Amino acid sequence: MNLLLPALGFGVVTASILALAGVGFSLQFGVTNILNLAYGSIMTSAAFAALLVSQRGVNLWIAVAAGGAFGAVFSVALNRVVYTPFIRRGTKLFGMIIVTISVALVIQYGIQAIWGASFFSLEGLHASAIQLGPFVFTTTQLGILGIGVGAMIAVHALLRYTTLGKSMRATATNAVLARNCGIATDRVIDIAWAISGGLCGLAGVALVINVTAFTDTTGSDLLVPIIAVAVLGGIGQAYGAMLGALIIGITSEIAAALISPDYKDVVAFVILILVLLVRPKGIFSEIASGKEVAA
Amino acid sequence: MNRTCISLILLGSLVVASGATAIQASASGSGTLTIGEFTPFSGPDGSFGPELAAGCIPATQLINSEGGVLGHHLNCVEEDTRGDPADAVPAANKMIASVSNLIGALGPSSDEALATVPILNQAKVPMFVETGQAAFDHTSDKYFWRITPADDVKGYALALWAHRAGYTRAAAVFGSDVGSQSDVPTLLTAWKRLGGKMVVNQRIALDSSSYETEVEQLVQARPQVIFTEVDPQTGATYFSELQQLHGLIPVIGTEVSLEGPWLRAVTGALGAGPTAKYIEGMQPYAPPSGPAWKVFNKALLKARASVPSPGQWSADPYTMTFYDAVNVIGLAILEAHSTSRSAYNQDVAKITAPGAGKTVVYSFAAGKAALAAGKKIQYIGAGGPIVFNRWHNSTGAFEAAKYVHHRLVLVGSVSAQQIAKLSH
Amino acid sequence: MSSAWQFYISSVLIYLGVDIMACWGLNLQFGYAGLVNFSFIVFQAAGAYTAAVLTLGRPGPASIQQYLGGAHWPFPLPVLAAGAVGALLAAGVGAIGLRRLRSDYEAMVMLVVSLIATSIATNQTNLVNGANGLDLVPKPLAGVLHVSALSYQWFYVAMTAVVCVLVFLLVTLITGSPLGRSLRAMRENERAAAALGRNVTGLRMLAFVVGGGIAGISGAILVMFISAWSPGSWLYPETFVFFTALIVGGSGNNMGAVVGAVLVPVAFLEATRFLPQFGPPGFIDAVQWIAIGLLALVFLWFWPRGVVPERRRRFPRARSQPAATGGGRLEQNSP
Repeated sequence: MNLLLPALGFGVVTASILALAGVGFSLQFGVTNILNLAYGSIMTSAAFAALLVSQRGVNLWIAVAAGGAFGAVFSVALNRVVYTPFIRRGTKLFGMIIVTISVALVIQYGIQAIWGASFFSLEGLHASAIQLGPFVFTTTQLGILGIGVGAMIAVHALLRYTTLGKSMRATATNAVLARNCGIATDRVIDIAWAISGGLCGLAGVALVINVTAFTDTTGSDLLVPIIAVAVLGGIGQAYGAMLGALIIGITSEIAAALISPDYKDVVAFVILILVLLVRPKGIFSEIASGKEVAA
Repeated sequence: MNRTCISLILLGSLVVASGATAIQASASGSGTLTIGEFTPFSGPDGSFGPELAAGCIPATQLINSEGGVLGHHLNCVEEDTRGDPADAVPAANKMIASVSNLIGALGPSSDEALATVPILNQAKVPMFVETGQAAFDHTSDKYFWRITPADDVKGYALALWAHRAGYTRAAAVFGSDVGSQSDVPTLLTAWKRLGGKMVVNQRIALDSSSYETEVEQLVQARPQVIFTEVDPQTGATYFSELQQLHGLIPVIGTEVSLEGPWLRAVTGALGAGPTAKYIEGMQPYAPPSGPAWKVFNKALLKARASVPSPGQWSADPYTMTFYDAVNVIGLAILEAHSTSRSAYNQDVAKITAPGAGKTVVYSFAAGKAALAAGKKIQYIGAGGPIVFNRWHNSTGAFEAAKYVHHRLVLVGSVSAQQIAKLSH
Repeated sequence: MSSAWQFYISSVLIYLGVDIMACWGLNLQFGYAGLVNFSFIVFQAAGAYTAAVLTLGRPGPASIQQYLGGAHWPFPLPVLAAGAVGALLAAGVGAIGLRRLRSDYEAMVMLVVSLIATSIATNQTNLVNGANGLDLVPKPLAGVLHVSALSYQWFYVAMTAVVCVLVFLLVTLITGSPLGRSLRAMRENERAAAALGRNVTGLRMLAFVVGGGIAGISGAILVMFISAWSPGSWLYPETFVFFTALIVGGSGNNMGAVVGAVLVPVAFLEATRFLPQFGPPGFIDAVQWIAIGLLALVFLWFWPRGVVPERRRRFPRARSQPAATGGGRLEQNSP
């Protein structure tokens, strides 16, 4: 049982990756209503963008930033070039799911066609362990934690203290009403894709730093846990997603400790199904709406 | 009306596609004999394909530069099984039906072997398989040839090597996939027979974002050595977390741990020094040295145009195996004086078996010359001698190797006799 | 035709039959009832495992594979059992999963069901032999028929065709009846259908269960032909291939499902096997999946209703009008 405490620490690291990805996913889904199943593939593509940068011999953290930037630009482009035209043409919820899966296939196998089904590592990963109370972390893990916390604070500040944040929250709550109130919803949607894409890119790079070797499927392997995080927190609820990430990150590590390592992923799946069935709006919907955060 | 148009366009494109086939068939011409690379090129085991192609392509190029066989050139064609039986069955039938002058197959792998070996055997296609499944240890299929060792043998080799190093407490960390799990039962048996204690046996979900809890569980069981077979990404994540959180302990892996992608991933994660110090792998005895290997490696590096970064396969025993298989096909055709599959299939064992008065050859060129001079030959491949038993299996010794300064260094071996003794 | 080509073509025809059945099953769920079942392949897999286990016999201690149960049922009982298991599983999943969720949430639940099923089948090795899957499934009636391998292939084609016809009868029994109209009404407007007294929950469940049963039967036919079945054969993207087939063929009508099955899993995926080779190893195979993705996008963009669109049903305003356009004898009476 003395596995439990360390598992808690490890869960926090997993959670910070999931939080980055989950908040981005939730934000975008909430504002645009598109269930973007290409999200995992975009994470992978951001990791490959970071790989290209890191192979030029720059600092690892610059590669992380590059991955984030790539994710943002790529997501906005994807929305403008593919998703929005389909919606304007009248493609409905189900059709959009197929569109996003198709895009996911194209991205993932595009990466495989270019790089081959091989494994890659970012340069400059070597880390040392640091003991913090009962927990052991590596320096890169602390870096990942830092990115996670930093990004979450930035998202919080954006939503809470800027007009843009208010517009996003308004659009998420009722897009038509928001437009009628003079909010440039198109611009808001663009920005939502950019922010979500940036978080997605950061999460992708953080993930491949943590797993150290990655391939064309690395990002999409994490898609369901990410969806679980977003749904658990309530779609569109940034704080909910953060809490959801903590819960799923920690429970899956504890499940690995107590049940069996090969059922680790199943825990996230089961949590997702339970939440969808019992409270499809997410377990934190009341708490979060009480705080009037609905980006 | 509109719909009809669409249907016509679609059907038209299909016709074009099949037209392309016809062109492909005619382009390969009546003079070219084709070897099917019948293995996953996509899906979770999509990395099998390039490893196999890296053996097939250089071998055919070398044979063609020597003037081919009986006036025919050889070429390799991809037949993607997509790594599952449902996709592999039509792929096998398609290959047999549509590949003009199909002369043999490399593959199938464990993912699809039980469903497709009967089809290839029925169609009289000699196959040099990739699968290690124990189900084929005593096969009576005439067209089945296995140069690589069966999976169940690997467990014995791993246990013997760890026992020799004096370890008594071991941990097993194996992926939940087919290939990895099939090593585990014999490993457990062998380790027990040798008096060792398996302190923890972990079956690992592949490609998780972290394995820290699993690592913690492992460390708390206090093993002296870890037996492993996991995919590259999982290996890199698992062992780097072990390294960073607690420090590494010796790892003995299967041949997977000595393959290019695995080493690249793990070296990238652990660093070259620790990888060299702690990671060992057991692979079929195929040292990257000797006359046959030199010919293989030269041909491989020359095939740069068709094999991306060929150097990564230089020491890969499976790549060598498939290179050898193509040479065996070529030499058996010469021996049989026939490009009929059923005719040369009977000579496969003849040109690899040792025998008094035989000329030992290490390359296709030397074999061709010796056969032309009317001699009997024994082909010794880049992967070492090939001696088929009556079930068309050839299992040799195992070697343990480390990855030092970007190349594999042999550190010892386990003989076929020792394995046989332990397994009975 | 050379026998090798006959082998290939007959096996493609068998796959075609299996895919057509599967598309009918999915079409019933999605095209008629509007259920976004992203775990459809799981029901086919369940049928395949059932048929395999019921023909393999009990696993002995020296057996190379481990699985639950085991029997030597005579053909066609394993096929029927596979249909029953598919239907039962659908009833179970449906009872839990078919709530009043938005269709994208429903898709998520089903996608996750698919992943959980794969995970359990892989990790519980004593259930259906884990990642290795089940092998050496005996071919039905092979011991009785005493024919050449090639004749057996054509026998199997014929048998698949017969099963297809039976499944078609079952499907049209539902879609061609008032029940089919209720399903479509529910798909278009659930509340309106409920207000008109239709038991919406029952209708959804019916489509889901029958679709699951058909999927199970298709799995049984497939596994008895290929003789092996493993988790690699039913990963969740396979469901996407069936959805693409429905989009391309046209969902909501059974002919569209047939056209889709012919065009996507069979013609398109088989045709790409014949592409001339270029690029590094594995390149073509990656391009093939890219092409499937693009195919779905292109159809959603240009022909979202598919090659054979669902017939627009026009219902006359007044009761007397059907008679007016009907037989000539009644025409005289029309105003």
